[in-house]
Amino acid sequence: MNQIVIVGTSHHIAPLDFRERLSFSESQLVDAFQLLTEHPDVREAAILSTCNRVEVYAVMHGEDGYAVLSNFLSNYHHIDPQQLEKFTYNHQNLDAVRHLFNVTASLDSMVVGEPQILGQVKEAYAQSLDAGATSDILNRLFTKAISVGKRIRTETNIASGAVSISYAAVELAKKIFQSLEDKTVAIIGAGEMSELTAQHLVKNKVSKVIVANRTYQRAVDIAKKFNGIPLTYDADLSFLVEADIVISSTDAPHYLIDRPSLAEIMRQRKHRYMFLIDIAVPRDIDPEVSKVDNAFLYNIDDLEMVVASNLKERGQEAESATQIVKEEVAKFHSRLQILEVNPIIKALHQQFQGVASKELETCLDKAQLTPKQQKMVEAMTQSIIKKVLHQPTTHLRQTVNDANDDHAQYVHALHEMFGLEQAEDLDTESTDRN
Amino acid sequence: MNSPFFHTLLLVYLVASILHILFLTTGNRRIAQSAYWLTIGGFVLHSVFILLRWRYVGHLMAHWYDSTSFLAWAIILIYLCIAYRTRLRTIGVFVVPAAFIATLIAYTLQTQENTAIPAYLQNYWLIAHSASIFLSYAAFTAAFGFGLMYLIEEKKIREKQPTLAFNLLPALGRSDELCHKFILVGVILMTMGILIGVLWTQYVKEVKWTWIDTKIIFTIATWLIYVLQLSIRQILGWRGRKTAYSAIIGLAAVLFTYVGVNLFLPSIHAF
Repeated sequence: MNQIVIVGTSHHIAPLDFRERLSFSESQLVDAFQLLTEHPDVREAAILSTCNRVEVYAVMHGEDGYAVLSNFLSNYHHIDPQQLEKFTYNHQNLDAVRHLFNVTASLDSMVVGEPQILGQVKEAYAQSLDAGATSDILNRLFTKAISVGKRIRTETNIASGAVSISYAAVELAKKIFQSLEDKTVAIIGAGEMSELTAQHLVKNKVSKVIVANRTYQRAVDIAKKFNGIPLTYDADLSFLVEADIVISSTDAPHYLIDRPSLAEIMRQRKHRYMFLIDIAVPRDIDPEVSKVDNAFLYNIDDLEMVVASNLKERGQEAESATQIVKEEVAKFHSRLQILEVNPIIKALHQQFQGVASKELETCLDKAQLTPKQQKMVEAMTQSIIKKVLHQPTTHLRQTVNDANDDHAQYVHALHEMFGLEQAEDLDTESTDRN
Repeated sequence: MNSPFFHTLLLVYLVASILHILFLTTGNRRIAQSAYWLTIGGFVLHSVFILLRWRYVGHLMAHWYDSTSFLAWAIILIYLCIAYRTRLRTIGVFVVPAAFIATLIAYTLQTQENTAIPAYLQNYWLIAHSASIFLSYAAFTAAFGFGLMYLIEEKKIREKQPTLAFNLLPALGRSDELCHKFILVGVILMTMGILIGVLWTQYVKEVKWTWIDTKIIFTIATWLIYVLQLSIRQILGWRGRKTAYSAIIGLAAVLFTYVGVNLFLPSIHAF
């Protein structure tokens, strides 16, 4: 019987340098697949290699799946088998299915809900498919896993909410302004965090960057990075009139922007929204400012709180995602079993049909029947076959849906009792399911 | 009359309302999709119903009941346009229930045939006049929905606690702009409706133009609220919370003009 087997490693159990040694570059994949599929026990294979995980998927014939794949990995990458065993995990059959579903659902990722993994699995599957390494079972497994990943992203909010401070700032800006494209950002002061945030904003197509600093040269230096406009300020903050997003991180010991001055600026800019991000400690912007209409103020603690609550939210969503994975694994399980049961049903029908048509032939030769009578006899034969096979077929299909693996025994028994030979035509059997 | 039909419609709008609200509380986009399609189904059903009734009664707006049903239909129409153009489903949370309530009111009014417009007034003037007015009410309902969405989203941003609703609702700038646009559309439609009404009195001898009809006074007051808001926004740039509040106050005025006047005050308008 076929087994789905995974041997792999990930950021959960192995350090980076080990993952590096185990990884496959795109050029290595071709001969890796060749080596893998040359093994008599390996019927299908796929390799997923990203910076956080390396996993070999295979459909194996024999019982020793883990050993075969581990040997392959240690031979290919010249890694000591003992070390390999320490830093790899393995999964079989349903556990393997569940594992891949968890991977595409991003439940196994470093940051739950991250978007890259789904694309990486798609890519890995495409490469394995191109190499001709996958076939019926892995094709089904990967297409299903990808669709499970998509389903979880649409049905749960596992991927929503920024999980870093600079992204949280960008996301908030997007929640205030309809679009960032015609917006102006003003950076007051300097600092790594403010520059990083500005960079994200520029990536999101803000149209103009103003860099204000006490010293002009410093402003020019920073402005170069964003193609921005450098300027110096003293007490005069009138440049804020055209700023939609203000990132402030000066080392001033007192408030730079207070409520009356901002209210005046807001009036001058006709109350268009302003998003103020205060990254400075001590703060640059008086918290009272947030009482001004259409002005929204976030300081570093607020942003950190947003990130923390997004992470918590993702954690909760992960629970419903796990539920979906569980459901999909069960569905996939019964489909796999139907895949095993279908050929035997087909073979059984073929055998009966063969016997019947032979018998019919001799019978019709001997008996002189009118065409109408011939038809009746043929129809009767067909109906006998159908009725005789109806009960065992239904029963067999039902066992598939039962939790215990009874169907394997039935399949085996039918093989023995009827001397069937055709259980191997799995590959030609209804590959059009997906 | 047409009871099973109307019951089905009510049920469809009710389930669609619940699904929309469920979408906002779970964030499940599949639910949003089914809510959207169910609303489309309700809209088709409602359209067929209005046409059948038009044939049966002989006029689109012969009764108070028909006008309320038309209002519900118009709200759904506007929602579907928004959902189609902007792919925004969250506005459904606020306007589909409004349409359901309007349909429910229409249903309870069903028996009061005494609200009928006199037969000599049942002409195309009536259709043009009331259709413009009710389409404007529907536009104001949409503006109200966006106003509410703005206020909720603004509250969430100021609370600094992103929640599910926070992630699903559109950006402040967008809610504000759509709220503004629908006030504008509503004012244009309402102006048209008033003008058609005035012209009508010039052509039909049986109706005398009068300033002192309560319905007319309240309609003009409502109109003024919206026009004032639009002007201040244009001149001083008031936006955001102030637009949202005026959309809410405006709709309250609309409701009183539409329902309150007829319940508490005498008027030459049957609805």
